[in-house]
Amino acid sequence: MTVQVTPSVEWINQCYEHEGDHEHVSLYLLRAPEGTVLVDSGSFYHREEITAAVDEATDGDGPDAIVLSHSDYPHAANVSPLGGDTEDVELVASSASPAQQGLPDARKCDIGGSLTIEGREFSFIDPPLADRSHTTWIYDHGDGVLFTADGFGNYHDPGRCDSLSDDFPESTPTERIYEYHRDNLVWLRYVAPEKVDRTLDDIFASYDVNAVAPIHGNPIVGDDLDTYRERLRDSIERIASEHSVA
Amino acid sequence: MPREIAPGLHWIYEAGPDRTESWDLADREPEWYEEGREAYVPQCAYLVDGGDETLLFDTLSPASTDEILAAIDELVGDRGLDYLVVSHPDVPHAGNALAILEEHPETTLVAPGYGNDHELYRLDYGVHVTEGDEIDLGNRTVEFHEATFLDAPVSVWMTERETGTLFPVDWMGFTHLDDERLVFVDELDGEFDSSRLVEFHGRVLFWYQYVDVEKTNAEIDALIEKFDPEIVAPAHGLVIREDATDYMELMKDVTRTIDEQGRVGTLG
Repeated sequence: MTVQVTPSVEWINQCYEHEGDHEHVSLYLLRAPEGTVLVDSGSFYHREEITAAVDEATDGDGPDAIVLSHSDYPHAANVSPLGGDTEDVELVASSASPAQQGLPDARKCDIGGSLTIEGREFSFIDPPLADRSHTTWIYDHGDGVLFTADGFGNYHDPGRCDSLSDDFPESTPTERIYEYHRDNLVWLRYVAPEKVDRTLDDIFASYDVNAVAPIHGNPIVGDDLDTYRERLRDSIERIASEHSVA
Repeated sequence: MPREIAPGLHWIYEAGPDRTESWDLADREPEWYEEGREAYVPQCAYLVDGGDETLLFDTLSPASTDEILAAIDELVGDRGLDYLVVSHPDVPHAGNALAILEEHPETTLVAPGYGNDHELYRLDYGVHVTEGDEIDLGNRTVEFHEATFLDAPVSVWMTERETGTLFPVDWMGFTHLDDERLVFVDELDGEFDSSRLVEFHGRVLFWYQYVDVEKTNAEIDALIEKFDPEIVAPAHGLVIREDATDYMELMKDVTRTIDEQGRVGTLG
């Protein structure tokens, strides 16, 4: 079962539980003009659920292409089970050296560049919020969805696994945005918040973003984009202010 | 072939791809680069032989599975590998963990105690270490530390007490030229060019472009005071075995330079 985010983008959400909190470890399925495209492949931890969900969503055909935001295991662990190691499925990996990232057969995308995959144009953006150097954000020119890999995440309560941002009473809670970024993007403790904000402004000015699709959070849609960004800004400022050098 | 840094402390090296073309080095001509040469950002693993027991810190990338297995065989032979420490579950650092553990079922996996996603990395069943935890290998003891400048939250740094070696993982990496493989920094020709450090941190540790310079450099001062190492053994650079704290001081210039010029580029 998938959750519709935009007309041609579906969310295959999986959750990882720690101490009562849930963290999404998701992937997305795009229905492109010439075939289906998966953004990321999920964690081995959810392999059975993911392969079943993709199988159901594609009527047993599997994806035609897989695009990886980066090679971190929770994002790239199901390339082979989803057919990414066969000639039938095009595999596109983020920048750097696919062989050293364990993806020797992948077509390489360059940060700052664009590719047409299954008839859909994707741009690959230098991400201001990530946890690995090899990460790219992926912009889908079809529906205007920005896939933000490790940025724009949030923890959630167990009952909110399938919620889009506008399903929350007052959109994604600030505290959950803060907790996620504090725990997962540790370098934010050294950040000058205004530098990140400027880069985010540039990205949102350059691309017409209708929805943000994080791998580790609830998708952010419509008017909630502005609300989320305000809360993200506050969260980053708080993370930086809370750390002092010993 | 590994190189011995000090008795019982071995450097295992993987060059990775030639970066010359993708970084436009011939066109840009940064100060550290020489025309016509190839440039590399290595991956390094380190083996500590403490007499009684052996420990491997990181695994090289999946492109070098055969090489790391051969190096382990060469260095530990029939004695076996007692500990495999994964500094963080990034593919170039941990990509051969499974292969090593299959080849050496006697080995205890040691993983960072920091972060909260261990099951997603198959690190939940390892021994988890945090600040101050130690492993006594016989005539050598390693100690673990909370990683200061890092990417993955599941990360740990290590020191080796007898030699005073700091293993800062991704931090303090730098580029080198083709004939400088497995060369100690004090063996390089001429004065060390700190723009090598800028080239690495301005590309690989992408977040350097977003940091507060004063705060970051205060942290570097704190690291020098805390560790005061004799040797620095980075995962992505050459081993520094003389004047190690001077090179840590250089990192403050790196912070300032990247703040001024922004990200050098991507890893490519």
